Amino acid sequence: MSDYLDLRQRAEETWNAWQRPGKTRIIYSSDTTSVGRGLADTVAALEQGIAARGLDVALQRVGSRGLHYMEPVVEVADAAGGHVLYGNVTANRVPALLSAVERGELARDLAVAVVSGPDVAGLPRLEDLPFWQGQVRRLMQFCGLIDPEVIDHYLAQAGYSGLARALQMTPEEVIKEMLDSGIWGRGGAAFPAGRKWDFLRTARGEPKYLICNADEGDPGAWVNRMLLECDPHVIIEGMLIAARATGATYGYIYVRDEYGLAVERMNMALAQARERGLLGENILGLGMTYDMEVFRGAGAYVCGDETGLLSSIDDDRGMPRIKPPFPAQAGVHNKPTNVNNVETYANAPLLFRNSVAWYREMGTERNSGTKMFSISGDIVRVGVVEVPFGVPMSTVLLGMGGGVPGGRALKAIQPGGPLSGVIPGSLVDLPLEPEAFRPHAVMMGGGGLTVASEDRCVLDLVKYFLIFCEDESCGRCTTCHGGSQRMVEIFERITSGQGKPSDIDTLQLLAQTLQWSNCAHGQLTPTAPLSAIRNFREELDAHIREKRCPARACPGLINYEVAAQGSGLAEAAAICPTGAVVQEGARYRIDDARCIRCDACREVAAPGVIQVTDRFLPVEVVAAPAR
Amino acid sequence: MRTQSTHDGPAFRRAVRELVAAFRPGGDDLLPALHKVHHEYGYIPRAAAEEVARQVGLPAARVWGAITFYSEFRTEPPADVTVGWCSGPACRLKGGDRVRRIFEVELGIGMGGKTVDNRAGLHMAQCNGQCELAPMVWLNGRERGNLSMADAVRIARELKAGKTGE
Repeated sequence: MSDYLDLRQRAEETWNAWQRPGKTRIIYSSDTTSVGRGLADTVAALEQGIAARGLDVALQRVGSRGLHYMEPVVEVADAAGGHVLYGNVTANRVPALLSAVERGELARDLAVAVVSGPDVAGLPRLEDLPFWQGQVRRLMQFCGLIDPEVIDHYLAQAGYSGLARALQMTPEEVIKEMLDSGIWGRGGAAFPAGRKWDFLRTARGEPKYLICNADEGDPGAWVNRMLLECDPHVIIEGMLIAARATGATYGYIYVRDEYGLAVERMNMALAQARERGLLGENILGLGMTYDMEVFRGAGAYVCGDETGLLSSIDDDRGMPRIKPPFPAQAGVHNKPTNVNNVETYANAPLLFRNSVAWYREMGTERNSGTKMFSISGDIVRVGVVEVPFGVPMSTVLLGMGGGVPGGRALKAIQPGGPLSGVIPGSLVDLPLEPEAFRPHAVMMGGGGLTVASEDRCVLDLVKYFLIFCEDESCGRCTTCHGGSQRMVEIFERITSGQGKPSDIDTLQLLAQTLQWSNCAHGQLTPTAPLSAIRNFREELDAHIREKRCPARACPGLINYEVAAQGSGLAEAAAICPTGAVVQEGARYRIDDARCIRCDACREVAAPGVIQVTDRFLPVEVVAAPAR
Repeated sequence: MRTQSTHDGPAFRRAVRELVAAFRPGGDDLLPALHKVHHEYGYIPRAAAEEVARQVGLPAARVWGAITFYSEFRTEPPADVTVGWCSGPACRLKGGDRVRRIFEVELGIGMGGKTVDNRAGLHMAQCNGQCELAPMVWLNGRERGNLSMADAVRIARELKAGKTGE
């Protein structure tokens, strides 16, 4: 324990020095999202501006708070201890910000909220922002507060104290506490983490391995990326606690190739942890030996399946294996292995820093604790939030996310990625826990929530998921690679006016066949089409029977027409990639044979000049015979 | 192919062997070794795959199988500018598929292809959670987001004209 207290004391000194009492600080939020929105230019402009103005200001880095809709986010801490958050601080806005800092004033146009310190007239507190209301930040408690590249920042917040406690407990006690907390696997299967750990503890064979599944392949989900980039040590600490419980001596964090910054920061965090004696031999002087490495994927969705991931580490194609044997019996290198999701491991330090009672204060009886969600699509505020289980989805999508922009109706919600499905917007009040989603033929999943407005075609989205599943099938099971291919073909036909009423039966038959695939990839590929049949039958019938896309999105079911010889047609002709906007004398028309329905012409022409119309004339629909 | 031919022969193989000398057979070194080669040459030349196979003690066919299994390993040299087209759902909803059609038609290539003059290539990229930029593409890894369809046409035309899009 003295080793830990020494580390902690050193860390607090670093942390206190970083606070720079009495000095103004400019603190920028740094993650993949802020980088994508121009962080490098912002930082360059800040550095240059601070130097040119000769400001006595410290420029510092933290992780993101998940306010992705307004990145780059910059926090200004004044000498008196007031912290104000600024949003959308792109490089061109830096001079205005620095001028205000120089004068000791507020940059009113960019200011978003007061983070801490005295109130500022006309500015809300951070916790009063709609995006923040209802959030309970446990997993994300340090996101946006500490520099993820400095281990001392984490240690100074009592980081690794959960490990220090667990190291003084027996493995059985650690597992019992995990079971009592009710923490289950966040990857989607919702299996109790404590039981999984116990499988590894009692497994025969040495050495034992831990794997953190950070392959987060579901498009539209980036909650794991948040933690990897903004608080890497909470994951390492969680794995160390699991090592204590299971007797594992080595671990891998399997990070998908697309997460370059996460790989970088996790490697940095591991090096720093090793340097402080938190990895290696005799950890914290308490006898445990454990080390780990970052393993970088190379672009394969099925590696998110735990046995696909094992194959990938074991020098092979990332093809899921046939179970049994289960990973706890024969995992990586054929040795006993436990695989958990990022968020699962990250919950352990919270539990061991606090208590079972504290942990269960949040969430519901069946689902204790909190869950992170990333919200995207047709939504006002894109970002990452954390809420207790059981909170209505509307709190997240309508409250925090601000609903659909432009007053359009909320048509559909897509929880859980390609192996889940689509539910109608009318179900927006569903409580966020797995059981609530199952009756609607979808899964809550790993944390992605994508929102579609009334002008989007649900079948196009489902077709995309099928294309995705076909593309990412490993090819082992014919049911999966052949079945998904067949489903894609059917959806291609339906969305181009060639659909047949019997297609629905065929899809259902195929869905039954796909159930016989080896892994969840094939088994769950039919979820999206089945959810469309169940939840969007009217839209499906419009495509199949009327040859009409109600959202006017499916390219095979729409035409582009010049509705009026108004302004902007010359520009439309110039922008058209295929020369389909044709000039004849003074008049323009669209050559349908060349048109690829990209919409560029309609964008640049004056409103109403170019219109999208149904490709096929209305047909009288004969009702399907009752059966 | 011009570039590929320089990535063959005894001198090249020696260089690859040196590059991957630290990796060992019988463990977990195949993907790290392939990443290293990919990073060095921008793709994995066939000769390099053979050298990696020898180094980590696996049949070359199995190594090639792994290379072609993972979508982020290329087996041909990249174009001057690779357009990574985001295939994710938020992009899809906001017109991502139309962005794809525009790049394909303007550049005259399909997904995964390269223009004959090597100026531009199209790569199917996966969502990494920058969804507030939807619809988006990456030009050699650099984000171009919130694209209008007209933006997509203009970017494709600039690439065709030899601009790097920076």
